[in-house]
Amino acid sequence: MKYWWIQPSARALVAVALPLLVPALITALIWSLPGNPAEIICPPSICTGGEELAARWHLDQGPWAFYGHWMSSALQLDFGDSWRVLTGRPVIELMAQTIPNTLILIGFALIPITVGSVLGAFQQPSKRWDSVLVFLSVLPVVVLALLAAAIVELNFAGSGDDGLGYWVRMMAAALTLGIADGALSGSILGNRSMFEQENQQRYVGISILRGESNFSNTLPNLAGALVGQYRSRIVQLLSGAVIVEVIVRVDGFGALLWRGTLMQDFGVVLAAATVFACLSSGLLFFQALVEVLQNLHQRRAPKLTLESTEVVR
Amino acid sequence: MKKSWMLGGLLLTSAVLGTAVEVQFYDESLPITLNPLFATTMVDNRAHELYFDRLYYNNPTDNSLTSRLIDESQTKIEDAGKSLRLTIKDGINWHNGKKFTANDICFTIDAMLNVRTPSPIAHYYREHLASCTVEKSNVAKVTFKRVYHNPRERLKFFVLPKSEFSSTAVQPDTEFANQPVGTGPMKGRMGTLAARFEAHTKTSHHSPKIGAMKMSQAQDPAVQISTLRNGAMHGIVSVPPIYRPELQTESEVQLRSYDLRSWWFIALNTTSGPLASKEVRQALNYSLDRSELREKSIGFDKNDKESPCEFISGPFVQSSAYYNHEVPPVEFTDKRKAEALLNAAGLEKNGLWFHEGKPVALRIGMDAKLGKEATDLLTQIANQLSEAGFTTRISKISSDDWNRKAITGQLTKEYDMLIGKWSFGINEDVNDLFQTRSETKFQGRHNIFNYSNPEVDSTLVEYEKARTTDGAKNAYHKLHSQLADDLPYLFLWKLDTKSAWRAEVKDITISPYYYFTDINRWYVSKSK
Repeated sequence: MKYWWIQPSARALVAVALPLLVPALITALIWSLPGNPAEIICPPSICTGGEELAARWHLDQGPWAFYGHWMSSALQLDFGDSWRVLTGRPVIELMAQTIPNTLILIGFALIPITVGSVLGAFQQPSKRWDSVLVFLSVLPVVVLALLAAAIVELNFAGSGDDGLGYWVRMMAAALTLGIADGALSGSILGNRSMFEQENQQRYVGISILRGESNFSNTLPNLAGALVGQYRSRIVQLLSGAVIVEVIVRVDGFGALLWRGTLMQDFGVVLAAATVFACLSSGLLFFQALVEVLQNLHQRRAPKLTLESTEVVR
Repeated sequence: MKKSWMLGGLLLTSAVLGTAVEVQFYDESLPITLNPLFATTMVDNRAHELYFDRLYYNNPTDNSLTSRLIDESQTKIEDAGKSLRLTIKDGINWHNGKKFTANDICFTIDAMLNVRTPSPIAHYYREHLASCTVEKSNVAKVTFKRVYHNPRERLKFFVLPKSEFSSTAVQPDTEFANQPVGTGPMKGRMGTLAARFEAHTKTSHHSPKIGAMKMSQAQDPAVQISTLRNGAMHGIVSVPPIYRPELQTESEVQLRSYDLRSWWFIALNTTSGPLASKEVRQALNYSLDRSELREKSIGFDKNDKESPCEFISGPFVQSSAYYNHEVPPVEFTDKRKAEALLNAAGLEKNGLWFHEGKPVALRIGMDAKLGKEATDLLTQIANQLSEAGFTTRISKISSDDWNRKAITGQLTKEYDMLIGKWSFGINEDVNDLFQTRSETKFQGRHNIFNYSNPEVDSTLVEYEKARTTDGAKNAYHKLHSQLADDLPYLFLWKLDTKSAWRAEVKDITISPYYYFTDINRWYVSKSK
């Protein structure tokens, strides 16, 4: 365990690189596609002025100039205007409008997952419920989302953007996200088996003999793994949110990214994908931090004295 | 039923409170832009008809060319027919309260004439318009590049407000594109999930009875139909043919025809291998069983008296004055004729048809969005051609690629056949589809496979030069028979578009192509 710092450092490095790498990859994609995005609006054979439009979007001086300009503007929170999704609207406004919806959605979706994790940590529910949990785990997000969309659309099509319709839409989407693709059952079963295995460790037996509880002993040791698991669940929810938002018609960030991609609105795609990358980076940083704290905590744990080891023997 | 009561209650409450009901409807998608210079889809055109006024438009009731902006009694033709002197009606205001003036007309024309405006629509008008001068605040003089027998027909563009732009080089990515200022019957803005409209009443030329409208993106057709039936939505712009019978029996819903003058076709690559031979193209024409195609892909019922689909033999719908009824459409397969033609073209059959020792392989593409109206059409066509002895390879083309590459003639190397649909308004000018492509002369802009035939070109010039309606009609009748013989396209059918609206929405007049031209008359009533 001498090199415990390697893993968190690697995570931190990846976290720093992600927000730089993602826009670079999208820039490479723009240049690898035939023609340039300005030609979608102004095909050269039936239109003039496309060069000016390309210059306006900084597409005229090669990928490095484009990437450099975009990054320097993005650092000042200027993501430019939407090219096609909502033409002319500042991308930052679109993000400000859609991110809260996605956060609410993810927040609600995390409720069943968190409750499931806590239950799992306390070895609940009992194993006879496992068949139900396994059944829940095989429900794909697309199927549940379609079902939710049909119910919401049929009943609240006209009032889906505000009031009761909005909340019903959000709840249906959150429930879909929180249950589908094994999100709920995974959190219950995963935590249950993780704590079950840890409870069988020798040190837990010793702590019980010392009159301490299982949980207070296992939790610090599992903290890193738990945070890692939670991080991957959030990342899974973020990717699932793209599907759910599109199908259930939630005006969220995932749906914005999807529309941007479909319409080849690279102004929106660049910004949205970079924000996703930043979120992922934030979570990676957090996990690295918890790993560091966990290791420091373990290293400052009191060493067993000779007498105490003899008592145990 | 429960929903109907809910809707009734809502309407009643609205009436009592004196507020207008928001009319909500599904369209195929949301508009891509609300700047009419950059319209690329029919949805764009329909939305623009609500936000803006066209300088001239065809009255949907009697087809007459008219204007809400121009006082026709004072319009004068000048410069031996090359110019029109237009006088603006009094009391017309933009949505932002500013007065509509001749400056706005000339600004719009100048913007279209500016080569730095990256708009295909502007590019089209540059072919006809020469200049515009403001003579008085309410008088503009528009000059054309040549004398037209119907000059007003060339002025059916949407008018933009000069005050909202800093230059005549209008760009597509400005705030105007999602929150436009027009003189149209509705004002509003576009959102990520819906486009909203609110009545524009502070002007003399519009008085819409509907207070607000909301356009949402279409969902699955079955969900749309259920939503309409239970009253959660008021209308659907386009109902796929297979869902129409169930709505026809619904008392609370009315089905209305939307005359898009659209016809379906298979464009043939006349420069590619065996398809360069006219006989081969004619043989393909006889290899298709259109009757079976429409039955399997559109769900056509032989007993349906109001068939949504009628076959065509040329580039016009049968109700058009330009359609040449002397050229009969080909409805069924005629294997004997097809084989004779292929043999005459030098092809040999050995299970499959061979051309210069190689089996004839046809690469067929289809505009993906057509699949919504005609499910499996691409597969059905490929099946029929395979049965006739051709190898086929099929693929769907995204709407973007269709608009950007297919109709601009950039898929000639990738495809042999392209299945698509053209939609027209009152003006059914098809010159751009068949004229030899010339970028300098603005010709053949939508010539899919860069077809070129000097005889066809001269007929198209004949149409262009026609100074009377009869002259134009004769030229297009001739064009119809020339194309039916040379077959740069296999002409399929006209497919009716039907809209469905709740019975509470009254006085609905759906105008061809632009749909909402007569929205001022629409209203929502408590009674059905």
